[in-house]
Amino acid sequence: MRGGSKHLAALPLVLLFGLPLIASLLYALISLFDREGWAALFGHPQIWPALFLSLFTGLSAAVLSLGLALIIVVGLYGSTRWPRLSRRVGSMLAVPHLAMALGIAFLIMPSGLIARAIATLVTGWQIPPQWISNHDPYGLSLIAVLVIKETPFLIWIFASILNREDVSRNLGGQRAAALSLGHGIGSIWMRIFLPQILPKMIWPLVIVFVYSASVVDVALVIGPTQPPTLSNVVWADINDADVFNTARGAAGAWFLTLAIAAVAVIIWVLTRTILTKRSWLAAGPVRRDLIRPFGAPSPREKGGVKIFPSPLEKVPEGRMRSLAKLKFLALTFIYIIVALILLLLSIAPMWPFPNLFPEALDFKAWWRVTDNPTALLTSLTLAVSTSGTALVLILAWMESQPARRDRTVLVLSALALGLPALLLSLGQYRVFLNLNLTGSAIGLFLAHIIPVTAYMFIVLCGPYRSFDSRWRASASGLMVGYWRYMRQIKLPLLKAPLFAACAIGFAVSFGQYVPAQLIAAGRYSTLPMEAVTMTSGTNRPLTAAFALLLMVPPLVAFLAAAFFGKSRWSA
Amino acid sequence: MSLIAQNLSVYFGDVRIFEPLSFSVSLGEIVTIMGPSGSGKTSLLSAVAGDLPHPLYSVGDIFLNERNLKNVAPENRRIGRLFQDDLLFPHLTVGENLLFGMTRGPKTERTAMMMTALGRLELAGFENRAPHTLSGGQRSRVALMRSLLAKPDAMLLDEPFSKLDKSLRATIRDYTFTHLRARNIPTLLVTHDPEDVPKDGRVIYV
Repeated sequence: MRGGSKHLAALPLVLLFGLPLIASLLYALISLFDREGWAALFGHPQIWPALFLSLFTGLSAAVLSLGLALIIVVGLYGSTRWPRLSRRVGSMLAVPHLAMALGIAFLIMPSGLIARAIATLVTGWQIPPQWISNHDPYGLSLIAVLVIKETPFLIWIFASILNREDVSRNLGGQRAAALSLGHGIGSIWMRIFLPQILPKMIWPLVIVFVYSASVVDVALVIGPTQPPTLSNVVWADINDADVFNTARGAAGAWFLTLAIAAVAVIIWVLTRTILTKRSWLAAGPVRRDLIRPFGAPSPREKGGVKIFPSPLEKVPEGRMRSLAKLKFLALTFIYIIVALILLLLSIAPMWPFPNLFPEALDFKAWWRVTDNPTALLTSLTLAVSTSGTALVLILAWMESQPARRDRTVLVLSALALGLPALLLSLGQYRVFLNLNLTGSAIGLFLAHIIPVTAYMFIVLCGPYRSFDSRWRASASGLMVGYWRYMRQIKLPLLKAPLFAACAIGFAVSFGQYVPAQLIAAGRYSTLPMEAVTMTSGTNRPLTAAFALLLMVPPLVAFLAAAFFGKSRWSA
Repeated sequence: MSLIAQNLSVYFGDVRIFEPLSFSVSLGEIVTIMGPSGSGKTSLLSAVAGDLPHPLYSVGDIFLNERNLKNVAPENRRIGRLFQDDLLFPHLTVGENLLFGMTRGPKTERTAMMMTALGRLELAGFENRAPHTLSGGQRSRVALMRSLLAKPDAMLLDEPFSKLDKSLRATIRDYTFTHLRARNIPTLLVTHDPEDVPKDGRVIYV
C-alpha cells in the first residue's frame, strides 16, 4: 500500500481494539484504589477459603495439563501420528469450555452415565448413589474439566513451535547429536528440548493458569459452591444491584488478579532456577552397556530370498510412544463420549435412573430451540461479524505498519488474554456505561471483538510477518500491481493461517460469557448466557441441546477452515 | 576389533535404497563413502548410528567390537557422529557442550577434563562463551572434541567439512583425522569432495 493514506489503514484496529482495551484497563485500574471496596472485601466471610480454592484449582489444572501435554508431545513428536495429532487437537480446541463442563457434569453426576453404567454392570443400584461429583467441595471436577480443555491447547502451542521448519530442522539435528553422545530420549527432552522450548511458552502457560484460576462460567456449572471459587464470589458481587457489593466485587477482582500474579511469579522463579541449573543441564549421559553380544536372530531363507525377522532399528522413544498414544486416545475418547451423551440427552425426555438408554426419544428440546432461536442467532452473528471484522483490521494493520510496531499490539493482546476476564470486563463495563453502550448492539460487538482480535493477532503475526518478501519483488518484476499481488499471490499463499485464525476467532467469540453477560445488560442473550442460566433449571434435554449448540458451530468452523485452508497439492 | 557391516541395506517400504553392502573398518582406519546425491550415503550412516527416520529402515547386520548392534538404541551404540552443521547446543556454553557428552562422575574431574580439552583446542578461557560467538572453525573443533570426549568406539562423519570455507577446510580435516587416528577410532566418512579422502584410504562407492 502506498501514499499518505497508508497509516489510516491502521486506524480501525486502534479504534475497535486498542482504544477500548486501554480505556477498560484504565477504568479497571481506578477500582484498585477504592479503599472502601478493599475494606468490604476483607470483611467477606468466604474470601480466604474461596481464594485458596481458586488458586488450588487453577494451579492443579495448569500443572496437570502441562504434564499431560508433555507426555503426549514427548512420546509422539516425530512419529507418523504427529501430523494427524496436531490437526485433531484443533477440533478439540474448538469445543467451548462451557459445553465440555456441561457434558462432564452429565457424565459424573449421581444420576449420570457413569453411575448408570456401574449400577447396570456392577452394583445394581436402583436409586442414584450419594456420591459427590460435580460441585464437589475441592473443585476436583472443575479441575478435570479444565485439564480436558487445556491439554489440547498446550499440545497445540507445542505443535505450533515444534512444527516451525527452522525449529524442527534444528531440534532434529540436536536430537541426533545428543543420541550420538549417549543421551537417552528423556534426557534429551529435559536437557536440550524443554530448556529451549519452554521459555517460548511462558505466555500460553500464564494464560492457562490465569484462565483456570479465574474462570467463571465453568465454575458455575461444575465448580464448588460452599464456598465457591473466588471468581464466583466476585461474580456474584459484581452482578449485585447494591453499589456496596459492586465495589467489593471490583476489589475482589483485583485481589484475585494480584494473588494469581504473585503465584505465577513464584512459580516462574522456581522453574527458572530448576531449568537453568547449569551443572544439571550439562550432566553427562548415564553409560549403560546394554549391547547384547549375541542378540540378533539370523535371517530365514524363503524361496531363495533372505527374510529378515526385524529391522535393525530400536526407536529411542519406544515405550514413551505407547504411553502417549494411550493418553491421547483417552482424551479423544472423552470428547467423543461427551458429544454423544449430549446428543442422546437432548432427545431423551424420559430417562429413569439405572437405565443405560432412555425410554423414549423426541425432539421437543430442539423444537424449542428452533421456535426461539434468538440466542443462537445472536451468537452466530457476533461470531461471524467479529472474526470477519478482526481479520480485516489485522490485515490492514499488517499491510500498512512495519513489523516493529507489532510489539505494541502483541503486548495489548497478551494483556487482553492474560488478565482475568473478570477484571477486564469490569473496566469495560464502566467505560461502556459512561458511553451509554451497555445493552447496545455496538457494545456487545466491541466486547466480543477485543478477545477475538487479540487471539487472531497472536496467531497471524508469525506466519504473516515471516512471509517471504521476494514474492512481492518477483510479482513487481512481472508488472503485477499491489492489489493483484494480494489477491492472487499473498492471500492464497497465506490461506491456511488466515482460515485457521478466523476459526479460532469464531470459537473465541462463541465462548465469551463474562463480558457478554455484563455488557448485554439483560437486553441481549447469547448461547453461553442461556446455557449458564439453564444449569440451575431442571430441563435436561434443553440444557444438553444448548451445550451441543455451543459445541457444533465452532467445530464446523474449524473443519471448514481445515478444508478451505488445505493446499491444493495435499491429499 | 572394528566396525563391520554385513549385507547392510536400507529400505523405504519395499524399495531398496542401495544394494546390500559388506565392509569392515579397522581400528584407526578412515573409510570414505562416496556417491552421487540421493544414493543413500546419509541413510547408510543413519543405519549404522541406529536412528533412521521412519519410514526408512535397515536390514543386515552391524557389528561393533564383535557385538551385534541389532535392536540396540542409538544412544547405547557408542558411536559418535559429526554432521554438516556443528550442532552445538545453543542454550549451553562451550564448556557445557563438552561436559554434556562426558560420562557422569565427580564434578571436579569432569571440569578438569573439559578445561584440558579446551586448552588442546587452543580455546582456553572459552568455557563460558556462547557457541554462536565462536568462529566456524572454532565451532567445528569444539564439535569434534565434544564427540571425542564421549569416548566413542566408532565415528561417523557426515560431510562435516562441506560448510567450511576452502582455507579452513584442509586444516580442520587434518586436525580431525589426526585425532581420530591417535585414538584408534574406526571411522566412516561420507563426502562429495575427492580432496576429503585420506591418503591411501579405502573408498566405498554407493
